[in-house]
Amino acid sequence: MNRDSNPLVFLFSLLLALVLQAIALPELITPFRPLLLALTLAYWAVYAPEMPALLAAWLLGLCCDVLYGAPLGQYALGLVTVAYAARRLSDTLLAFPLWQATLALVPVWALYIFLMFWIDGLTHHPADALHRWMPLLTTSLLWPVIAGLLGGMNSRRSRRGILP
Amino acid sequence: MNTLSDSARKTLFPRGPGLGLKFLLFATLSVGLMVTDHHGDTRLRPVREWTARALQPLLWVTSLPQATFNLGDHFRSREDLLTENQSLHQKQLELEGRLLRMDALEAENARIRELLSSAASLQTRVLIAEILRVDQNPYRQIVLNKGEHDGVYKGQAVVDAEGIMGQVIEVNPGSSVALLVTDSDIGVPVEINRTGLQTIALGRGDGQTLSLPYLPGNADVKVGDLLVSSGLGGRYPPGYPFGKISELRHPAGENFMEGIAYPSARLNQGHQALLVWAERPALPAEPEPAVEQATDANAGANNTKTKASPAPTRRDTTAAHKLETPQKKPAPATPAAAPVKPATPPAKPR
Repeated sequence: MNRDSNPLVFLFSLLLALVLQAIALPELITPFRPLLLALTLAYWAVYAPEMPALLAAWLLGLCCDVLYGAPLGQYALGLVTVAYAARRLSDTLLAFPLWQATLALVPVWALYIFLMFWIDGLTHHPADALHRWMPLLTTSLLWPVIAGLLGGMNSRRSRRGILP
Repeated sequence: MNTLSDSARKTLFPRGPGLGLKFLLFATLSVGLMVTDHHGDTRLRPVREWTARALQPLLWVTSLPQATFNLGDHFRSREDLLTENQSLHQKQLELEGRLLRMDALEAENARIRELLSSAASLQTRVLIAEILRVDQNPYRQIVLNKGEHDGVYKGQAVVDAEGIMGQVIEVNPGSSVALLVTDSDIGVPVEINRTGLQTIALGRGDGQTLSLPYLPGNADVKVGDLLVSSGLGGRYPPGYPFGKISELRHPAGENFMEGIAYPSARLNQGHQALLVWAERPALPAEPEPAVEQATDANAGANNTKTKASPAPTRRDTTAAHKLETPQKKPAPATPAAAPVKPATPPAKPR
């Protein structure tokens, strides 16, 4: 998977994920909001190793910290951990069929959520348990969709780039 | 052959040599930031401010769907507007009538307070803020569109038309984050409007209800009693409605009963909130020197109390001396609070 990815697609997808993460949804479906930022970062870490996913994760994490009023560094640490874990697992994930990769990534999301939950407890920043843990389900299920979507966008762009 | 397999290896396993190192660097940086920030280090303020400034367009983008939704307001029928206008006119008249009475009552109140040589009133400085539709899950907090530029400070009370909503926990240059009263981290000093009994209301963390855990077992409390903020502690302005008691639990053999209340503020709906400055600006000089002397003495007596209460601001230096004024009000009220106050510590071990 050493094809050249478009840096514009990289930046745009991450910004879009940040916006979608911050946009308000109806009360009923908010608990099910997937962790789009973590998903997108994991995609880039797995499929485009030449992209600075760790740096992006850290910067976007700082943005999340300011957005949520959390102690600076909390979400940065979480997202960097996700990007690192995804990059380390990338060999396995690329070798597996998509549904197995989806299962293999569940512990990564769980680790991220647990880290956030733990730091919330340490810093006395109470969060709603349902809203904290429910995204684990939706995030896990959304991995094939994100991988397909971003993969389609990325490969089409890169092919167009390679062709004169 | 050797070189070929080598290059194939590289493409198949494109792991950078410094990946672990990079992760370690970022992780330590994050942990370091977290520890410094949690200890309230002010050197991190600029980082937060710059990031908040950079995120301003994002806040604008997230508010777009709401704005397009509100676009429907432009296409409303004439009759609708007319009826609304009429009803607003009626309400205005009604409120004006009440306001006239209020003026008289306020004057009378001021006179009586002068006699008591205490100088508090319900008049406070307010600022209307828009509640931004920025998702804060999994936290139960709201984002307001007023920030440091408008003089918002950490610990400021947020109210809506119905009652107290919460307090500001985070101030950015152009926005601020507020925690709602139903959060389990917030305690508000309240009094029961009917009897004047003072107690503390805590959020229960379920986003719906409040708990009054320190009610004496024989206290005169009824279901339906209105709670108003008492202003003790100087953080919340006194006299704002806070909630209604909906249930009283009296476990057998316990000395205390617990009240469950619903907040009167509409926490989940509504687009606007009022930011209230709890510290009243210094009173215009009173004509009678005798009264001034009395208030001065009162302020001196209350100074110790002011120090004991948590300072609500870090940056606002002017707030420090302003804070004394709302502190004076509780002076006549403290005897009433006295029976409750000593009762609070024994409740803790439970």
